[in-house]
Amino acid sequence: MAQRQTPSTQTPTLLDSLGEEIVRIVAPVSICMFLVVILVSVLNSGDSSFSVSSIATIAYTETTSDSSWDKFVGALLNSLAFVVVVTVATFLLVLLFYFRCTGFLKIYMGFSAFVILGFLGGEVLIFLIQHFSTPIDCFTFLLLLCNFAVVGVMAVFMSKMPILVTQSYLVVIGILVAYWFTMLPEWTTWAMLVAMALYDLAAVLLPIGPLRLLVELAISRNEEIPALVYEARPVNVENLDPRVAVARRRLWRDRRATENSNLRGDANVNVDNALGLGANAELNHGSDSNRNDPSLAGEGAVLDSNLSSSTSYGTYSDRNLVRAEEGRVQETDSEVTTPLIGHGVNVRMHSRPEDADASDENLMLEGIGLGSSGAIKLGLGDFIFYSVLVGRAAMYDFMTVYACYLAIIAGLGITLMLLALYQKALPALPVSVALGVLFYFLTRLLLEVFVVQCSMNLLMF
Amino acid sequence: MEPPQPQVQVQVQRDNNPNPNPNPNPSPIRSTGGIWPTIDGPLGLSEEESVSYARRFYKFGFALLPLLWAVNCFYFWPVLRQSRSFPRIRPYVVGSAVGFAVFSTLICTWALTFSLGGERLFGPVWDQLVMYNLADRLGLTAWS
Repeated sequence: MAQRQTPSTQTPTLLDSLGEEIVRIVAPVSICMFLVVILVSVLNSGDSSFSVSSIATIAYTETTSDSSWDKFVGALLNSLAFVVVVTVATFLLVLLFYFRCTGFLKIYMGFSAFVILGFLGGEVLIFLIQHFSTPIDCFTFLLLLCNFAVVGVMAVFMSKMPILVTQSYLVVIGILVAYWFTMLPEWTTWAMLVAMALYDLAAVLLPIGPLRLLVELAISRNEEIPALVYEARPVNVENLDPRVAVARRRLWRDRRATENSNLRGDANVNVDNALGLGANAELNHGSDSNRNDPSLAGEGAVLDSNLSSSTSYGTYSDRNLVRAEEGRVQETDSEVTTPLIGHGVNVRMHSRPEDADASDENLMLEGIGLGSSGAIKLGLGDFIFYSVLVGRAAMYDFMTVYACYLAIIAGLGITLMLLALYQKALPALPVSVALGVLFYFLTRLLLEVFVVQCSMNLLMF
Repeated sequence: MEPPQPQVQVQVQRDNNPNPNPNPNPSPIRSTGGIWPTIDGPLGLSEEESVSYARRFYKFGFALLPLLWAVNCFYFWPVLRQSRSFPRIRPYVVGSAVGFAVFSTLICTWALTFSLGGERLFGPVWDQLVMYNLADRLGLTAWS
């Protein structure tokens, strides 16, 4: 007999929605890492004497002839300089945000995204063209590159675009910046990764940390932080029968209308988050604000490159997600009150009695805290540094790539669990980078010897 | 006797859900009562916004941005698929599709002519136009 009940008509189980959420954030991270590894292995098959001068090598330029101790000290100095520059840049960002110069910030970020996609992307493409000797002419090349860059800037900042396009462009920006970072000298790269992980930890968790200040400022003002943040698609909206989805949204709207008067920012966040309009909690919110693009032009003013790297720029996807909802309602204040939802920065998921009804099914998932109906957001800086780690591992051997990849994904999983536990903005770098670096060195020191010996003696592998 | 019946049942089942559609609750939100005009579905734009976005993408595409036309077609794919709904959006999307097709044909023919013709067709100019030589000459390959 015909089966009446199709799986799609059943309510999604916890496993479905939770697993789907995790997959939707792990997939783009994996794609980014994979493409960086491919780029690195294709383009760096020669020597790695290609070394870029940037802020990260401002203190010391590593040469192969120096002793290990010199290299070590040099790397430490470099990474210290880098972290200092990034801190200054983030504080500057906080200051600008405090004085409400968001217009300037957005324009600046749009400009830097254009530079990344246009110039950095162009350079990588030229490398590829030279490597494969593709007989493409300059007019076509310029036309395609211009198209790519302009549409990219529009997708990331200015206009509402298909979610897939926006997400793809964010991943591409992550790939390009990560590839650029892998050109740094080796010791400096590792020292910088560790330093950035520590900085991330401090900046997000300490009360004086610039990222925490930024987040709290955004919450108190109920404004959106201009940021380059990757946001996964919310899960429940598609799984549900749209009638139910629409009904829930209406419920949320009504509820919000009544609660508007006496709610603080985070309460709004709570209610709105309950309907998955954006993030539940933001991983490493704005830690990417300091992802430095040290001297994209090589020389550029320190300020220029710093702010440009502040890749936490206008996450239009959030606001547009919300706006899409609002577009269906004739509420005009929705845009004012909703923006922060896009961030769900500080998710206080203590379900209050009045919220409990608004989100019955969500309540169950909210207890878990992992993007009940909201989406998980991951800062672009996390993409970049994960990919730098794996790219650098790829420069050694593929064995380290596998080990580091698994370590990073495990770290990401742990971070997501912590997110579910603490339900506030968490730094996504420290756990993953710690595990990744640990695994890299362990693999290099211990596993490699084992594997090589085994395969040489035709025992295994 | 037995076989036809399950099929009928299945048919009925299928007809109930051709496309998850909030039509039964006519909301004041949708003007033509169709489904969402964008490919993102409920996460995308409403119909009024879609008209302005489609128009804007169509017009900006004339600034030598065929990719924008392609994005326009991709974004409003449901509009292209169903020829009856969204009468206001459709002209822009169809125009974008036509423009993209024409533009990409032109670019492809030029690029293929260039790459396949090579020096035999163009003479010494080919060496000056091809990208990798140009990059070498302009020093673009060294990281700036």
